[in-house]
Order: sequence, then structure tokens, then C-alpha cells
Amino acid sequence: MERNQILAEVQEIFRDVLDNEEIELLDATTADDIEEWDSLTHIQLIVAIEKHFKIKFTSKEILSWQNIGQMIDCIASK
Amino acid sequence: MVFNSLIFLVFFSVVYLICWVPLKNTTKGQNIFLLLASYFFYGYADWRMLPLLIVATLIFYFLGKGIATAKSEKQSYWLTALGVVLGVSTLLYFKYFNFFIESFGALLETCGQHTNLHTFNIIMPLGISFFTFRLLSYVIDIYRGKVEPINDIVAFGTYVAFFPCLLSGPIDRPTFINQLKTVRTIEYNNTIEGCGQFLWGLFKKVVIADNLATSIDQVWNNIDGATGSTLAIAAILYSFQMYTDFSGYSDMAIGVSRLLGFTIAKNFNHPFFALNMADYWRRWHMSLTSWLTDYVFMPLNIRFRDWGKFGMILAIIINMIVVGMWHGANWTFAVFGLYHGLLFVPLILSGAFFKKSKIHTNRLGLPVIADFGRMVLTFMLVTIGLTIFRAGNISQAWSYFCGMSDRTLFSIPDLDGKVELYTAFVSIILMLIIEWFNRDKSLLLSYIKNIQRPIVLALLYSFTLFIILLLRGGSADFVYFQF
Repeated sequence: MERNQILAEVQEIFRDVLDNEEIELLDATTADDIEEWDSLTHIQLIVAIEKHFKIKFTSKEILSWQNIGQMIDCIASK
Repeated sequence: MVFNSLIFLVFFSVVYLICWVPLKNTTKGQNIFLLLASYFFYGYADWRMLPLLIVATLIFYFLGKGIATAKSEKQSYWLTALGVVLGVSTLLYFKYFNFFIESFGALLETCGQHTNLHTFNIIMPLGISFFTFRLLSYVIDIYRGKVEPINDIVAFGTYVAFFPCLLSGPIDRPTFINQLKTVRTIEYNNTIEGCGQFLWGLFKKVVIADNLATSIDQVWNNIDGATGSTLAIAAILYSFQMYTDFSGYSDMAIGVSRLLGFTIAKNFNHPFFALNMADYWRRWHMSLTSWLTDYVFMPLNIRFRDWGKFGMILAIIINMIVVGMWHGANWTFAVFGLYHGLLFVPLILSGAFFKKSKIHTNRLGLPVIADFGRMVLTFMLVTIGLTIFRAGNISQAWSYFCGMSDRTLFSIPDLDGKVELYTAFVSIILMLIIEWFNRDKSLLLSYIKNIQRPIVLALLYSFTLFIILLLRGGSADFVYFQF
């Protein structure tokens, strides 16, 4: 799948889970940029992304992402 | 050496002058000096514990390098695991070894077995829970790829032992090391904000916490003889004592660090304005709770993520028991943690856990009635938890609650030390008003920087210090030194 396509789909998941239609994701976006995105909603996002793309992340992968770009790279590599 | 002592004033004046006069603009020189000053500060409390701190620093410094240069993922994993095992077992040995022996003995006795188990005379190094957590986050963050290992043992040693945070936190993360790599300059704003923050912390500690301490201790020493209302008032006052004691220390640590050109982690964000328990834990002892969120709660939550809300409840209960037990080896701390863990269950089930709470205010800038009610309810739940926390053992906590819930709850409370209590009471009201109207500011009293005349400020600070010393209570150690 195209990287841009993944980003668009992840953005849709973010909007849905965090209940905020105004969220715009960029590679450099971090949890500091989105008010609703914290350690708790992070897990809900992970579960929704895993379900959507039918993939499974390792704990280390999840804990090492520092921005959206790294998350998208990880999804693309699956 | 406590912050509110003459010896600390002398020590800090020497450190401050040497850092900013002969060592001005020399990052390396300042770091070496700060490391030596920190070891002196620690050794002054108990020199026998210095070797442990130094050896632990050396081991974790080289472990960090090993993890980053490991030939395989497996090797770096095992080196990180070694670090975690070393850190956690050091903590377990010094803090919990005797507790395990006693609890095991008690369990065998309950089963009818006679035991002859010995406890050991282990001296717990001061601040061990704080510096061990700093060491652990360093190796874990290198493994997770969040930080690079540092090639400067002096800077690393200073990060671990930085004297303002060594005995009672805040628990800074490895990103703090970046501040040790850059040139620090003496700045007007840093100086006045640092002094302001220090004075604010001093006020909370010596005017509120120390004035409350004696009266509360007397109630706890005679629970059976106290009326229900006295116990209830003492429990409420203990919440304020804990907050002003610990946040007072943290504010002084922030102030001292500011004066040396450092910005350290924030530890409190007006916890008594929390609207629910989740909100409270985002505001209370923040450097510990965010540490445990990153290294305990998140890994557990990730592991249990397919179990839905039940997985999250399990993760939060384990996390909160760790929060409780981190304070020491006593079943009261475990029950305190479990109690807080259970309070999260309705929040998770209702979904309130996931929403950040926002305070709504009326025309006067005060909280609306509904939010005020939620604040009071949260405060009462916190007070129940802190009563368990304060008790020497579970049965004492039980006696306290039983004593509080009889008919004398509606009698007039009778606490000793009226003058001290009135001073503390007025000061608490003043503190809450100042905190409320400054709750969005990162550093309380930062508006003082608008006063650009140093002499006016010096006079203002001297006057404040005079008032604080005039109203101070009996000298008492910081509660969090024991952890």
C-alpha cells in the first residue's frame, strides 16, 4: 500500500477514535500536537490500527515511535 | 541537609558563587563542580551510601553504552534486562528485604508453623527510589531508541546525583542530560523566578506543613481518645500537610535548579483542583506517575490490549499498587495503591478516564457549582487514601476510620496547637486563592518578572522571607525523605 494511502487511513482512525474531525496528521505530528492523544487513547488507537490493517505490532515498536512518520513506516513494513 | 536550614544556605551560596564567578561559561568545569557538590550533599546526609551511588552510576553508564553498541537486538535486550534486574533488585534489597522476611514469617505462623526467621540490619540509602528510577529510565530509553548514550561520565553522574533532586525528586528523565551539555548563563528572569519559586515552596513547607505537623501527629498518637470530628478534621488537614510538604520541597528544588540555570521536571499541577481521580493523578507527583506510566502502565497496557477494558483495569490496578509500594515496605502502601486502582474502575467503565477534564468557571472566575462539587468529592477520596497512607499499619487505619464514623463525628473538633492551626488555616486559604488564579502559569509567581527593578524585588523577597520566618512552625523533616 502507498505510504500516503496509509497516512490517510490512519488519519481517519485518529479522527474516529479521538472524536475530532479536525485532526490533520503529518509525518512530524506528535502527541504534543493533538490534545486528545495521550498514553490512554494511544492504546485505543493501536488496537484500532491493528484491526484495520490486520497487523500486530511488537511492544518495542509501539514504545519506540516518536512521531506519526515512524508509525506509518512501521505499518508499511508489515 | 534540608533546603530550609542554615547549613543549606551556606552550602548553596558557595555552590552558586563558584558556578557563576570562577566557573562562569565553562560547562565542563561547572559539571565537575556540580557533581562533587552533589556527592558532598549526599555524603553529608550519610557518607556510607556514597559508594553505592557511585558504583551504580558507573555500572549504568557502561550498560548504556553496551546497549547502544550491541551487535544484535537480542544482546541489547539482555543488557537492558540486566540493567532493569540490577536496578529493581537493589531497590528490593534495600527497601523491601526485611518486609518480605517478616511477611513470609507471618504467613507461616498463620499456617501454624513456628518460624525462626531473622531480619537484617539494612540501612536504606536516602533517595534510593529516586536515583534508581533515573538510572532505569536511562537504559530503557536507550533500548527503546529514544535517547543516545552519553559519552561524558561527569554529565551522566551529575544527571543521576543532581543535588536539588537527589533526595526527593522530581525524577528527571535522561533528556535532562541535554541541559548539561549546553552553556548555562546567569539570567535575570531565571534568578528572580528561581528565588520566587523557592520562597513559595518555603512558605508552603514551613508555614503550612510544619504548623500542621504537631497537631496532626498528636491526633494520630491518641486515636482512641479523639472524637470522630477531630479525626475527620485531622485527616483533611493531613492531605494539606502532605501536599504542602512535598510540593513545597519540589518548588524549592525547582527554584534552586533555576538559580543554577536548569529547568527540572514539574511535580505538581494544583492537585486539589482535580475533577476526578484520573485528573488527580495527572496532577500529583507527576514525575513519578509519568515515569510509571511510561515504564510500567504502558508496557502492561500494550500487553493486555486485546482484553479491552478489563485489560486496562488490570494494568491500572497493578500500576497503582506499584505506585503505593514504591513508597515503602508496608501493607498500608499496598492497600493505598489498590484503593486508588479500584477508584479508576468506574472511570474506565464509564469512559471518563479517556477524557481530559476541563474546569468551567463562572463570571467571577470561580469554578461552577458542579465542578466545585467534583473537586470536593475528589479531595475527600484523596483524603481517605492518604489516611491509609499515613497509618503505621492496617489495623491503625481501620481504628482511625472506625473512630471517625461514630456519633462524635458531629461534635466540636478538639485539636491541640490553636495558634499554629489558625496560622496554617489562613495560609491554606491564601495558598488556594493564589494557586487558583495562577493555575495556568507554568511557574507560580512568574508575573514578578514584570518588576524590573532589582532593589524593589530584593526588598519584596526579604519582606516575604521575614514573614515566612515569623510564622514558621516547628522544624520537621520532609515526609518524602523516607522514600
